[in-house]
Amino acid sequence: MFNLSNLVQKAQSLIDPTQALNISSSDRNPAKSTLFRHQFRLPDTQNPLQEITAELTISPPVAYTPNVTQGEKERDRARGYHYVGKLHLSEAYLCFSTQPTSFLQSASTGTSSLFTGQTHGAGPGGNGFTLPLCAVRRVERLHSQNYQFALSITTWNGISNPPAQDSKTPILQQKITIQLAGTRQACERFCDGLKKGLKSGVGEVGKLKRVVSECYSEHLLSSDGKKSDPPDAGLGMLFKYPGDARKLRDRSKMRLWAEYLRDNGRNVTLIRQPTFHKLIRVGLPNRLRGEVWELTSGSLFLRLERPTLYQDTLAKFDGRDSLAIDEIEKDLNRSLPEYPGFQSPEGIGRLRRVLTAYSWIDEEVGYCQAMNIVVAALLIYMSESQAFFLLSALCDRLLPGYYSTTMYGTLLDQRVFESLVEKTMPILWEHLVKSDVQLSVVSLPWFLSLYINSMPLVFAFRVLDVFFLEGPKVLFQVGLAILRINGEELLDATDDGAFISVLKSYFSKLDESAHPKSENPKLRAVTRFQELMVVAFKEFSGITQSTISEQRLKYKDGVLNNIESFAKRTSIRNLGPDSKRLSVDELGALYDRFYGILYERQQRSQILQEETERLAKASRSQAAEVINGLSNNQIIEKGRVGLGPSPSLMDYDGFREFLASMTKWAITDSPTSPEKEYLSDREKHSYFGNSIRRREALSPWGSGPEPADHEFMQRLFRRWDVDMNSALTLQNVVTGLAHIKGKGDIMGSITYFFELYDDDGDGKVDREGILRISEALLFLSRRGLEGTLGLPATPMTAVSEQNHGNIDQLDPLQATTNERFLSSISAFIRRCFEYADPDHPQNQDEAQGTGNGGDDAEDLLELNSPRDDVAPRGKKPTGLDSVPSAISELDPEEQHRKVSKAQSEAANAALDPSKPLHITLPTFRMVVLADELLEQFFESSFPLSFRILEQSTPVISPSPLTTFSSLSFNRSPVSAVMGGAGGTGSVGLLPPGKGLRGVLDNIVTDGMRVAAEVRRRMEEAQKEMEKNALHRPEEDEEDEDGYDPRSAGGYDAERRSVRSEDRDLLEGADAEAGSIRATDGKALPVTPVSPAGTGLEAEPKKDRSVSALTQKVVEFER
Amino acid sequence: MAEAAAPRPSSSVKLVLLGEAAVGKSSLVLRFVNNDFQENKEPTIGAAFLTQKCNLPTRTIKFEIWDTAGQERFASLAPMYYRNAQSALVVYDLTKPTSLVKAKHWVAELQRQASPGIVIALVGNKLDLTNEAGDSTNTSGEDGDADAAEGDDGDARKISTAEAKEYAEEEGLLFFETSAKLGTNVTEVFTAIANAIPETSLKGTRGPGSTQANASRSEDQSRVSLTGPRDNASKEGCAC
Ligand SMILES: Nc1nc2c(ncn2[C@@H]2O[C@H](COP(=O)(O)OP(=O)(O)O)[C@@H](O)[C@H]2O)c(=O)[nH]1
Ligand SMILES: [Mg+2]
Repeated sequence: MFNLSNLVQKAQSLIDPTQALNISSSDRNPAKSTLFRHQFRLPDTQNPLQEITAELTISPPVAYTPNVTQGEKERDRARGYHYVGKLHLSEAYLCFSTQPTSFLQSASTGTSSLFTGQTHGAGPGGNGFTLPLCAVRRVERLHSQNYQFALSITTWNGISNPPAQDSKTPILQQKITIQLAGTRQACERFCDGLKKGLKSGVGEVGKLKRVVSECYSEHLLSSDGKKSDPPDAGLGMLFKYPGDARKLRDRSKMRLWAEYLRDNGRNVTLIRQPTFHKLIRVGLPNRLRGEVWELTSGSLFLRLERPTLYQDTLAKFDGRDSLAIDEIEKDLNRSLPEYPGFQSPEGIGRLRRVLTAYSWIDEEVGYCQAMNIVVAALLIYMSESQAFFLLSALCDRLLPGYYSTTMYGTLLDQRVFESLVEKTMPILWEHLVKSDVQLSVVSLPWFLSLYINSMPLVFAFRVLDVFFLEGPKVLFQVGLAILRINGEELLDATDDGAFISVLKSYFSKLDESAHPKSENPKLRAVTRFQELMVVAFKEFSGITQSTISEQRLKYKDGVLNNIESFAKRTSIRNLGPDSKRLSVDELGALYDRFYGILYERQQRSQILQEETERLAKASRSQAAEVINGLSNNQIIEKGRVGLGPSPSLMDYDGFREFLASMTKWAITDSPTSPEKEYLSDREKHSYFGNSIRRREALSPWGSGPEPADHEFMQRLFRRWDVDMNSALTLQNVVTGLAHIKGKGDIMGSITYFFELYDDDGDGKVDREGILRISEALLFLSRRGLEGTLGLPATPMTAVSEQNHGNIDQLDPLQATTNERFLSSISAFIRRCFEYADPDHPQNQDEAQGTGNGGDDAEDLLELNSPRDDVAPRGKKPTGLDSVPSAISELDPEEQHRKVSKAQSEAANAALDPSKPLHITLPTFRMVVLADELLEQFFESSFPLSFRILEQSTPVISPSPLTTFSSLSFNRSPVSAVMGGAGGTGSVGLLPPGKGLRGVLDNIVTDGMRVAAEVRRRMEEAQKEMEKNALHRPEEDEEDEDGYDPRSAGGYDAERRSVRSEDRDLLEGADAEAGSIRATDGKALPVTPVSPAGTGLEAEPKKDRSVSALTQKVVEFER
Repeated sequence: MAEAAAPRPSSSVKLVLLGEAAVGKSSLVLRFVNNDFQENKEPTIGAAFLTQKCNLPTRTIKFEIWDTAGQERFASLAPMYYRNAQSALVVYDLTKPTSLVKAKHWVAELQRQASPGIVIALVGNKLDLTNEAGDSTNTSGEDGDADAAEGDDGDARKISTAEAKEYAEEEGLLFFETSAKLGTNVTEVFTAIANAIPETSLKGTRGPGSTQANASRSEDQSRVSLTGPRDNASKEGCAC
């Protein structure tokens, strides 16, 4: 069944980069794309297409003069900075990095993830650029002898502020020269790719213009004279930025940045040189902070991709309500309340809009407390739209799983942090353990709200500056540094309280001198915060992104298991009073089974979908996250409870699968895919054959047995679906089962069954319902019965002994019991009609005549004892030998039809559609209790048939439990028949048997036919009613249209007759099945899905038994 | 609260507050710690930590209070806070039936997962929204009608005292109905908890001695419950 560890292993193998290499069947290694995107902070749409070693030369912007000579170009090249690295091309980006990373198929994972290691403060992007191709204005090939293959790239730097034509100021253009180092061929190939990308980038220039115009740098660098209103650089523009601008040396920082941006390009065209990293380390100036965050985190590229997403989302969901919105509303007033902007409607309004918009685009996260604080902080420095995309980058990449509904990312990183503390500060760790202080209680808020809530704002923002550039490892480095610096004092703290107060007081003194008593004025000038940064990034420089990834992988399982067992515990406890009827073990097993099936179904559909997508060449590579150790796309793990929102609703198909995993009867008799696909096969990916037909034939049922589809199951589903949403929750399932299994009293069980068939809840089950009940009883018992039904079957002993020698794999007692149960059902139908109440009082007389009256109790008592009156009929199938000869003379169908017509016309009120009747619960109860086997069925065998705790025995071959090998049932080549019938897509064709099918199987099938036959005849009678008696001859003709018994020999005629009938039934069943599918299970039809279809088998021998049994029907009609 | 008298032995007790959002956990703590009631302005991530002393005739108890906060999704963080707690306040809002259901879940969770022998108090808060508010409290002159707008007769109570009390008795919990707003019964809850903590399980200062038993997982503890608590007790006894 649901094997979690197995799945985990599978998931792990995808996460582990080295293993991922092995199992990747696609031509491109998906993990590499992810690594590529992470290094350059690119959107998920980008893939590494080409790469080439190159040398980058950055010259200061030159005044544009149209007629420069080659020599002048050369001179430009000679000046400036040179960097050797790799040039990468994706669909829409040209990236350069001094990190020698490679994302070629042939590259080792190590070279693909180089940047996750030690980056020496250069950030994952290294020195270089991430240039959207739409920001490239022109690319020239430089011809020179010295430089084999060099490109000069002119960008759209400053596109939003083109100097006026008549401006005196020289037009400054950003030019980059790149010399490609590779074979001529490789260089040409790269250039071809680049050309293609440039072409498609042309259309995006408009977007680019719009996006960069919201960047403050454009305003900062715009040519003097025409300064327009600055773009929105956050609430700080309205409410002041936090901190003392003088103390922060904001002006000089701004000057330095202006200079840097002038030389190296701004926003999308910015080139990262060492100064860039240094400028970030000393803290960003207020007005540029938002823009640089946007750039370093890569959220700028998200915004470039869909510039209007924020506004569109707000507009689209305007006025809508959600749980997330309620929760957001509660927190608006307590998000950085100390900042004046958030005491004003303006600030609160911005916060509300960003959080709300995000909750709509990421419904899996929705809203999580702490997001309010983080977004509030962002909004001080950036516009709403910028904050919206940055939040998206945070949730998807930088803080994966932090804000999910299970917060597994948060818990995981706490575990990782603890392990790092243990490793780097063993003495402190030991002390923590000894004093029983749990580190997470202090460190969790650090991570969850990015220190914003813990440190004074100005310092928290300095941490964020580095965090967006260098990634999550920064949070760990800072956390470790805090503990290291306060180590001495923490060693004195012995409880949570003391521990917390040490840190609280530390945070409040971050602006004080770290060495107040030092002689050295320079040392004295060093603040505690500066000290913190130094310790974090120097002393803990060994903590790299790959350290974090490794640790995350190591603890992931444990953390997820904890969350899952907590969720399971909680969920089971929350199941309400009904659940008390089941044992804790049963509830646990149900929980596993329920979510196991949902999970597997999701995996299956996903794998199928994947495969289709892959074939459609639309596969965006779904990769494991080597970067952060968490599966970002969650392709494999989606649905794992611990990871967050997992499916919690079971549709009808899932329900069928659920039942099939638990009960024998819910397993189909005729699997549609003869070769079952086992999990192991799937793991080997062997079923992803090349043939499309094979894929289509892929079983939608996975490794479990294929479920049947019977009207009874539909009724059960509807009954359990108390919320009427065509889907079951775990609660529904538990309540449903609790009522069947947990009652333990037969009356309850009988009532339950009755109510299942009392569609309108009026306490009456009509003729149709009675038939359906008997069909259900046959369906449920067709694989034998559970429990104690093996009575000392006195009347049957003779038969079973007589057949003993012929019995193959059969418990004779069981067999006979089952046979007897069949006759019990026959008797049940008979009695139901016998004791039914007429719907209309005017029918009373006739009803009385059939035995319904004050004395029916006596009748029942009487019926109870003379069992032999019932049993011999049950024996008939085994004693069939005589029957065929008897019938062969005359077509049995014909025979009985004649009889039945006559009968129904004559006296049988029970089958007279003009005289509707019904049974009430008391009648039903009496009828059940009148039969010992039925009584036992309701008392034990039905409840027992739901085996919650054990796995249902896998039915490898779907043959029935009992098999007589040498009864005179001489079966025709089944496969041939099957082939024909199978084409109709019937729901429940019997599968090819191995040799002889079991007698019981036949009996059951026959029993179903009995019911079908009864119905058929009722319908016929109905037709007759509707038509005038005058039309009778016509009708006879109609009948003969179907078959002509006289024209063919007995055998064939017999066979054909049944088959033509079957076809009708099949058509009926098909129509029903169609309607179920069409309505998506929402309105399961109450109209008959003829269960005869379930047992349908176009076989002559069968037909004989049908006739034999129909005779019985005839009998009780008399 | 008054400074503890010097000679009285003092020991600290870890207390955790659990319950559905907005039942008034933070307000109860605020009332207990500052004797104040106000809209909660404190943004809490995970849980807020506060301390308050409670003077008993023979000793002083220093409560280390973890006020868990937040949304449903923070529930999976709860074990971090109730771990090793000697006492818990499970709060529901007696005008909101679902909150009692949630409270019961927390009780069950604590009984199964927290330290064995944890003292649990079930607290129905917002008593001021009911009719009886005036009768049962001496501390307040105002009647809760300002907030009691919900019910026609001013009674917004949805959970009867009897119902909750019966449940509390079944589960062996302390039981109180309180109003953080008016201060009704708030100190009483904490005092009752202080009194209910067995003398033997009190620790003077938390130190290495007390850790050994507690550091191991609570599940293990319950499994070896024959020896666990007794060990604990003897050590603690010495420390006091
Ligand atoms: N009327 C009334 N309101 C209360 C009482 N206690 C808390 N509240 C209000 O209930 C809301 C939630 O309170 P809070 O302490 O934040 O609940 P928490 O989420 O459980 O911490 C706030 O609006 C409080 O003002 C009380 O005793 N009476
Ligand atoms: Mg609170």
